[in-house]
Amino acid sequence: MNFVLIFLITIFSLSLFFYGRSKTKSISVEKNIKLNALPKFYGYYLVLWCSIPSLVFLLIWTLFEPVIIKSIIIETAANQGAIFNDKNEANLIYEKIKAIYAGTYFGDIDTILKESALSYAKFINLFTNSKIVLIFGIVIASVIYSLKKIKNNNKARDDVEVILKGLLFASSLIAILTTLGIIFSLLFESIKFFSVINIFDYLFGTNWSPQRAFVRDASAITAEEYEELKDAFGFIPLIAGTSFIAFIAMLVAVPVGLFSGIYMAEYASLKVRRISKPIIEILAGIPTVVYGFFAALTVGPFFRQIGENLGLTVSSESALAAGLIMGIMIIPYVSSLSDDVINSVPQSLRDGSYAVGATKSETIKKVVIPAALPGIIGSVLLAVSRAIGETMIVVMAAGLAANLTINPLESTTTITTQIVMILVGDQEFDSPKTQSAFALGLTLFIATLVLNYIAQRAVKKYREKYD
Amino acid sequence: MNEIKIKSKNLNVYYGEKQALFDVNLDLNEKEVTALIGPSGCGKSTFIRCINRMNDVIDICKVSGNIEIDGVEINDKNLDVVSLRERVGMVFQKPNPFPKSIYDNISYGPKIHGKGETKSELDEIVENSLKKAALWEEVKDRLDEPGTGLSGGQQQRLCIARAISVNPEVILMDEPCSALDPIATAKIEELIDELKKTYTIVIVTHSMAQAVRVSQKTGFFHLGKLIEVGKTEKIFKNPDNKMTQDYITGRFG
Amino acid sequence: MTKEERLKKRHSAEKRFRFYGLASIFLALLFVLILVHNIFSKGSSAFMKTAINVEVFFDQELLEIKNGASDDEILEADFFDITIESLIKVYPAKNVEEEDALIELFTTDAEIEIKRAFLENNNLIGKKINLEITASDDIDQLHKGNYPRDIPEDRRRISDFQLVIYDNLVENQKIVKNFNNYFFKNGDSRDPELAGIGGALIGSFYSIIICLLLAFPVAVLASIYLEEFAPKNKITDFIEININNLAAVPSIVYGLLALQILLATIQLPRSTPLVAGITLALMTLPRIIIPCRASLKAVPPSIREGALAVGASKFQSVFHHVVPLALPGTLSGTIIGLAQALGETAPLILIGMVAFVVDIPSTPIDPSSSLPVQVYLWSESAERGFVEKTSATIMMLLSFLIVMNFLAVYLRQKFEKRWN
Repeated sequence: MNFVLIFLITIFSLSLFFYGRSKTKSISVEKNIKLNALPKFYGYYLVLWCSIPSLVFLLIWTLFEPVIIKSIIIETAANQGAIFNDKNEANLIYEKIKAIYAGTYFGDIDTILKESALSYAKFINLFTNSKIVLIFGIVIASVIYSLKKIKNNNKARDDVEVILKGLLFASSLIAILTTLGIIFSLLFESIKFFSVINIFDYLFGTNWSPQRAFVRDASAITAEEYEELKDAFGFIPLIAGTSFIAFIAMLVAVPVGLFSGIYMAEYASLKVRRISKPIIEILAGIPTVVYGFFAALTVGPFFRQIGENLGLTVSSESALAAGLIMGIMIIPYVSSLSDDVINSVPQSLRDGSYAVGATKSETIKKVVIPAALPGIIGSVLLAVSRAIGETMIVVMAAGLAANLTINPLESTTTITTQIVMILVGDQEFDSPKTQSAFALGLTLFIATLVLNYIAQRAVKKYREKYD
Repeated sequence: MNEIKIKSKNLNVYYGEKQALFDVNLDLNEKEVTALIGPSGCGKSTFIRCINRMNDVIDICKVSGNIEIDGVEINDKNLDVVSLRERVGMVFQKPNPFPKSIYDNISYGPKIHGKGETKSELDEIVENSLKKAALWEEVKDRLDEPGTGLSGGQQQRLCIARAISVNPEVILMDEPCSALDPIATAKIEELIDELKKTYTIVIVTHSMAQAVRVSQKTGFFHLGKLIEVGKTEKIFKNPDNKMTQDYITGRFG
Repeated sequence: MTKEERLKKRHSAEKRFRFYGLASIFLALLFVLILVHNIFSKGSSAFMKTAINVEVFFDQELLEIKNGASDDEILEADFFDITIESLIKVYPAKNVEEEDALIELFTTDAEIEIKRAFLENNNLIGKKINLEITASDDIDQLHKGNYPRDIPEDRRRISDFQLVIYDNLVENQKIVKNFNNYFFKNGDSRDPELAGIGGALIGSFYSIIICLLLAFPVAVLASIYLEEFAPKNKITDFIEININNLAAVPSIVYGLLALQILLATIQLPRSTPLVAGITLALMTLPRIIIPCRASLKAVPPSIREGALAVGASKFQSVFHHVVPLALPGTLSGTIIGLAQALGETAPLILIGMVAFVVDIPSTPIDPSSSLPVQVYLWSESAERGFVEKTSATIMMLLSFLIVMNFLAVYLRQKFEKRWN
């Protein structure tokens, strides 16, 4: 249906373009007046007026129609005597009703379901009809309005540009909308979560095992049940595991990345640089799921084998393997950023150092790096933020159980791993377990935001210093 | 006349395809100020950058010919540029203090060369260098503050102090006053007069008045060639070459 | 310490430092090599499959259909008996256990393969033909040398008896290697020999196309606004901060956004390329806007002034002159953004693309998988055959990424003007 409508609107708009163009031409000839813009702008003007309001309306309608119909149907079903205890059951019934309407339901149909399916069909019809009528109304109204404007020989070019500028502005607003969407979706569930679990129990609890959290009725939790629950959602082991793996990653990425960056900026000839830089950047272009596969199937078992030979117990999902591979993934972020930063240290400082007889490495260590330090720290922070937000490597190569450990040979888990584990497969609605994933997401979002903010400020300040 | 300190023979310099210096033969005397003048891009900076091999930093730069300091060839691949630069200091066109404290700016050189093993020895070197650069009185109370916070003239004197700190024999100055105001310039010129008692100084300058004021000997470069060299008085009063005459009277430049 | 000693020490420190730098670069390059080698050596065998040459006799007594049966009739018909009869004749079996062991050598789809042969030629009743029936995963891996045969029998998936049959088949040259069409054609399967990336390929294709259609126009328009029209004010600053931050938000957070807004609130269908495409578009948008703005910024102001000077409006100067000049950079930034989106896994897992989907999606609103998610799914599977399939999927994914990146570099170098 929507496609047909979009098609009709498009066709109609296009024909209006030709109409508007020739109409204004003929008006100018008949009445012998000078047009305020080229005829084609009158065409554009009509097209924009005809298409934008109706398409925007169609989009909004399509987004909200299912939500509204669903709430109406569930309510009518309830009025007819359907019984459901929570949102899950309500959803199930709604899905059944939809399936009956589509003719793909093969279970028993009782009268309540039958009635509801009939009213569902009624509403779908009603909504579709009113949608078509409203859209035609909007198209006609806006066309009449714009035609009138054209007859009055408006400044079509300026008007078209104002509309287009609005369109450009709207496009750039999508960034804000996305941020709002993220904040809304994380907060919405997190607030529910924190209304059940005390935020301090979450932040300072030392035990994470959400699979234990079975709650019969989230709105009425007994004190006993809460004691159980409180122990299931302790954040400390997750932040410990996340930081630990990120730390191992940085132990790999910072020295290797920094030294490669220094070598490329200070020593490498143009030819070496031109070849090695893109090859190192390949590391950043490889999908993380590939690293995860490599870490889980090759590096993990390899470490365990070495451990066995040395008489050590190494988990095949060790923090070491995940951290090492994550570190390798991050090398190009550190190297290319520090390369840039070092390159922007003015040559005059190096000359000053050479002139008193310093060697190249002395100049780099004592003059260039101290001068570039804020920028380098910024790039390391960006890398840290990438490490704690990285998902696939840890999902595939780190453990699932939350251990509080600083032994890199044991397995630990991370924030991102837990989000995936909780949300993969079937989810229970309104259970603290599902909601906890959003609380974790919120925590992660805030952490990366803060890190990025500090990092970007450091880099920016540094840039201003030498620009 | 003092003894010859630096001697260049048939010096040619190329930047890639382009030749920047053509057969330069120039002798520089010990404990004397030699000024190099000439229009922009004439090769005078290139010449002094050969004396402490700063041109090594530029990949495409090739140097042929000889430069001797105290009779020792410095264009030798086996010669250690680090110890050469310890003996030949340099001050640049734009003041370039390190983004560190005033103290660290001066102590940097002695530290890397292993001069001043103890804190008190270093303190002494810093104080002496700053005194010689006539900056001590102005900064002695704020040695911990960043060198970049000083005024332009002070920064340039800081850079001179930095050059002095490793106790060189020669100081090269590449238009040291071009970024400074007249008062700061006057101070630096005074300083150069004082420094020539201890050091051999080569100064590149755009200002002929400055050359007259500070130097004993002057060389005139044009398009990569050394056109004329001689006592400063003679060059400015009675040059042999027509081109020198035209330049110092402002007919081109 | 004498001066000479000191100098020597300083020079060796210099050499050491330089070596560290070089070693770091080599380390990074070495890792790229190891990774690529590892994936290729594991994955390249997946493009071939092992098949066993079987003589099939279409016995009228075992089939309910006749020569010339229609396609529908054939599809309905039961080919099970004839399949079993043909398979157990490959090697003389003494009892039922041995017959079972024999049948296990073949794919579970053997019946379908025989039926397919009959579909192609419906006059085979009473005739004998030789068919190459796909071998089971275990035989496939054994034949490719990925499965060790010298471990004790109780720890092996292939019995001694099956090994005897295998060796006999090899000796009689009954075992052949064919191009693995299933790998490209089929959807997911529990049996590695039947599993393919057909569904994942289509799913990824739809997702990326939707991502492109949504992200590219919006990113270009937004960059034009911010670079050319935006007034210097708080709103503009706020938008810019937002874009920079969004580019650094972990991808999994976009998964949570999609789960809450696209699935729970506006009820788009789960596990579909449509939702994946929208999610990826939101994620890719800031990553495209940044290079788009850079390439707009690189167009010198003189171009704009030139257009304005002949009386063009601000809009005309931007759309007729600046945008076309910035287009190569814009396109190459978009392609690189799409390449990142193509390899993205975490948000897709959250929107349910991990569902086990056998059917190839025909529209963007059918449940589907995608290439990186398929890698994740198969890497979790225990069967040995999936290791090879996973690596091969990675090879496909990497080759798409390489092509896209080369295209981006090519576009930039070929069409971009250098401004001095």
